Amino acid sequence: MIHRIEEIKLDSLLPRVFAREELPSSKIWRKNVVFRRGGRYLVESASGGGKSSLAAFIMGSRNDYDGTLMFDSRDSRSLSISEWQEIRRSHIAYLPQELALFPELSAIDNILLKAEISGDVDIARIDKWLDRLGISGRRDYPAGRLSIGQQQRVALIRSLCQPFDFILLDEPVSHLDEANNRIAAAIVEEEANRKGAAIITFSVGNPLLIENPEKLNL
Amino acid sequence: MGIISKLLRKNTSPARLAGFALSNFIGLIIVAGAVMFYIDARGIWEDDDSFVNTDFLVVNKKVTSASTLGDRDATRFSPEDIAAIQAQPWVRRIGEFSSSDFRVYASVSQGGRGMETALFFESVPDSFVDISVSDWKFEPGQGTVPVMIPKDYLALYNFGFAGSAGLPQLSEQLLTGIPLKLYMRSEDGSRSMSMEGHIVGFSNRLNTVLVPDAFMQYANSRLGDGNEVAPSRLIIDVSSPGDVAIADYLNANGLEVAGDKSGSSAAYLLKVVIGIVVSVGILITLLSVFVLMLSISLLMEKNRSVIHRLLMLGAPLREVGAPYSGMIVIGCSVAWILSMVSLVILRSFYADALQGLGLSSDGLMWAIVTGTALALIVIIVNIVAVNRKVKAAWGLKMKNA
Repeated sequence: MIHRIEEIKLDSLLPRVFAREELPSSKIWRKNVVFRRGGRYLVESASGGGKSSLAAFIMGSRNDYDGTLMFDSRDSRSLSISEWQEIRRSHIAYLPQELALFPELSAIDNILLKAEISGDVDIARIDKWLDRLGISGRRDYPAGRLSIGQQQRVALIRSLCQPFDFILLDEPVSHLDEANNRIAAAIVEEEANRKGAAIITFSVGNPLLIENPEKLNL
Repeated sequence: MGIISKLLRKNTSPARLAGFALSNFIGLIIVAGAVMFYIDARGIWEDDDSFVNTDFLVVNKKVTSASTLGDRDATRFSPEDIAAIQAQPWVRRIGEFSSSDFRVYASVSQGGRGMETALFFESVPDSFVDISVSDWKFEPGQGTVPVMIPKDYLALYNFGFAGSAGLPQLSEQLLTGIPLKLYMRSEDGSRSMSMEGHIVGFSNRLNTVLVPDAFMQYANSRLGDGNEVAPSRLIIDVSSPGDVAIADYLNANGLEVAGDKSGSSAAYLLKVVIGIVVSVGILITLLSVFVLMLSISLLMEKNRSVIHRLLMLGAPLREVGAPYSGMIVIGCSVAWILSMVSLVILRSFYADALQGLGLSSDGLMWAIVTGTALALIVIIVNIVAVNRKVKAAWGLKMKNA
């Protein structure tokens, strides 16, 4: 049972695929990096810089790296499958770049599915977010029939429907205009503040507009 | 978990699930049905003779005119004869019949009516008699002696003699309750003893009046004249009663088998047929398990990325596997229930026919035990496979680095 994650520590972390390559200056790979609960982080990189790999390492879907990745005092390599599931359910929220929605389910069912898994169902709050992001009219549409920008907003709301100490957002607003970007940033910050959680957002050029993030180049 | 199962049950094919349930049903009914029929019918084929194992043959030499004319040794087995039989590959061991070297008279009196007859005794080594030790023993000083008589004797009396002599018919149960008064005396009449006999069983396969070996030795030593006589009958424990080599050998050497040995060949044949049927049933069950495993893993393969996405959202593995396990349990349960109901119906078709011949009532119970065990194995094997598949999906690596 994991109570709370205060810090995610990367120590000399490097994806194995990069092991033989000359890396341009990176503030993350092969360095000591600590993401702290409550912090705001913007990880910027060029395409192919490995940001999705970093997300996959933190979410436990890949472990082909050298160095260590710690959740407080726990080495992430020592976590069991059920501990990983608990982390995903209750400690680290994740919006993947590819969104990973279920196209056959409606927008609201995609969101409720996550809420059911984490046991954090608050329909009124979800409806308010849909409304603020201007997609309440698409609530019952199959996700597969929404535009990418609409899907991105559905996936963003879905990622918020769980308890978390950290939220990882991989290019969350790449298909949103600035107005929607600001609304999304406001919602994420409200939720993170409410939970005392950290925001780690990844970007290749169109970052989520959160206030004063600590910038790290990959 | 409404939405998870809604999501995972997409792509399921009810036809495939029905196909599994059907093949599983057929497999179950064949295996359980064969077990049921075998156990139900066993009593008939095996002659209901629990005293003498069907692997035992009782043989004697054919009686010829020479033996009738006085050469009684012609029908006796010399030590050389016995050694020759012992040398046959199908012989496990041979027991000799010992005859009584004295006269025996038995009388029964019941309700004022009496009946008396001259009798004889024989014995075989106790290891050839399948009867509980407490019933089949004799110690000097014991006042009663257990006796086993052929079923045919009772039939002769009941259907031949009793009717014409105006005597009541007797059941096996009744006879085992009536004490026999035995009077035995030596050939010259100088020594005698009286005893009570107690019928403990009726045999189809031993055409003799059998007493325990211990009693025979005791009585022969007290009443006999000390004549050592070679046995005229042997009991042989054979390794495979249906073997044609046995019949060939016996024919070639002028030997006869007492009792009807067709029962044992039929039982042997029945075992072979049931064995084949059970193997086919097990094969079909195995195939149905593979059909299910294959279609479930195909389905899970199709849904692999759905499963992976669910796991990335933190869904517990148990919940992701549950819809598949649920399908397996439903499919197996339907097949199981249908096959058990069919067994009861199947049994009703032959139950009446077998009733008169001594239907054992254990068949249905064993069939249900077998069918249930098989269904449980199918369920467990498949659920294990589902859980492994979910675990495999958990470890799916993302492509983009």
